[in-house]
Amino acid sequence: MKRAGPLITLFAGLLLGLFMLSLNATTGEPAPTSLDRSAVSPPASPTPPASPPASPAQPRVPAVRSPSPAPPRDAKYAGRTQDDRASVAITLRKGKAVAYYCDGRTQEAWLRGDVAADGSMRLKSKSGATLDGRVEADKVDGTVTVQNAGHPFTAARAAKPAGVYRATTEVRGTKVDGGWIVLQNGRQVGIVNRDGEPAAAPPIDPRTGAVTIDGEQVTARPVAP
Amino acid sequence: MSVDPNARPQDRPSGGPNGQSPGGAARCAVPVLVGAAVAVVLGVYGRFHDPAGTAFNLAGFSSTGAVKSWLATAAFAFGLVQLLSATAMYGRLPGVRPAAWTPVLHRWSGRVAFLLAVPVAVHCLYALGYQTQSARAAWHSLLGCFFFGAFSAKMLLLRIERLPGWLLPAVGGLVFAALTVLWLTSALWFFRTFGVTT
Repeated sequence: MKRAGPLITLFAGLLLGLFMLSLNATTGEPAPTSLDRSAVSPPASPTPPASPPASPAQPRVPAVRSPSPAPPRDAKYAGRTQDDRASVAITLRKGKAVAYYCDGRTQEAWLRGDVAADGSMRLKSKSGATLDGRVEADKVDGTVTVQNAGHPFTAARAAKPAGVYRATTEVRGTKVDGGWIVLQNGRQVGIVNRDGEPAAAPPIDPRTGAVTIDGEQVTARPVAP
Repeated sequence: MSVDPNARPQDRPSGGPNGQSPGGAARCAVPVLVGAAVAVVLGVYGRFHDPAGTAFNLAGFSSTGAVKSWLATAAFAFGLVQLLSATAMYGRLPGVRPAAWTPVLHRWSGRVAFLLAVPVAVHCLYALGYQTQSARAAWHSLLGCFFFGAFSAKMLLLRIERLPGWLLPAVGGLVFAALTVLWLTSALWFFRTFGVTT
């Protein structure tokens, strides 16, 4: 007697796993929600070229949460300030944005907020820094204001591995909070706070996010709002 | 499942490597090797593919972490049903006599638990990868791979007749123990760190 049940169970799991994997592979990068929405109502701002064809995964993605006119599609942007002293990276997702401003030495700010339907945003940090910007075609133009100094910037559309990364951990009792911006050309800046003390961060491996801080291996993860 | 807890081990010498009708140890070797291969393949995939960092989310949940934590919690709950129904089937549950539906309960709770765990594992492997930075992540990575290997071995062992009586409970126990530690190192950690959120 050979029981088929266990085999069927295993194959069902295998199929489910492969199915989920294919969903991930097709939805992982440019999140599909905005595709969904732009199909219903015309996009409020010029959108970048359409990404891979609609996948069956779309219905599983949370439906529109923000008020109706479609905000700019989910995307990542990264660039330098006009004075070339700092980097700015922004991640848009479901009408919300998170941005990181970092000069790689002492100044940094994590900024969060909503993106309006016309692509404009005003993001704020806990320490009072602000980012005013607007999504235009394939870039975001704006100004970051940190400690009352304005830094105009332009951030172009970015794809993996460019973008914002963050790692928080504890190394031998010290709270470690690191942020990195990887630019399209691979250049990166980062700051590690040790118990709130900022300092230049060691580089991360942009493909895996792996970084060694004070002898400890940690993983920096892409930041999404 | 018609498991006979009193089945005697088969001690005939191995009949050959092709697994047609070999003796005790060799017959078990194939499922165990397949299980080991499953675990190793998962681990290698998790270690060497680039973690994507993101993956799709389910509607109604704030983050993939929350989705996974609840799926894992559900899987663990069915895992507890597994433990109880198995103990009942083997007559080791005080005051409970195995009913006709106990094996059915065991089979289906197991299937449900397994199928609930699969999406969690896919996300772990696809988005996070095999990690060793912290003890929690390291144990979770190791046991996550072990769990699916052990589960595969258990499923394949079920198809083999006249196993040593202790083998299925031992493997099942390993699977359940792994699942428990997996839940402790993931969902419980998540709920304690981020709150019991959906």
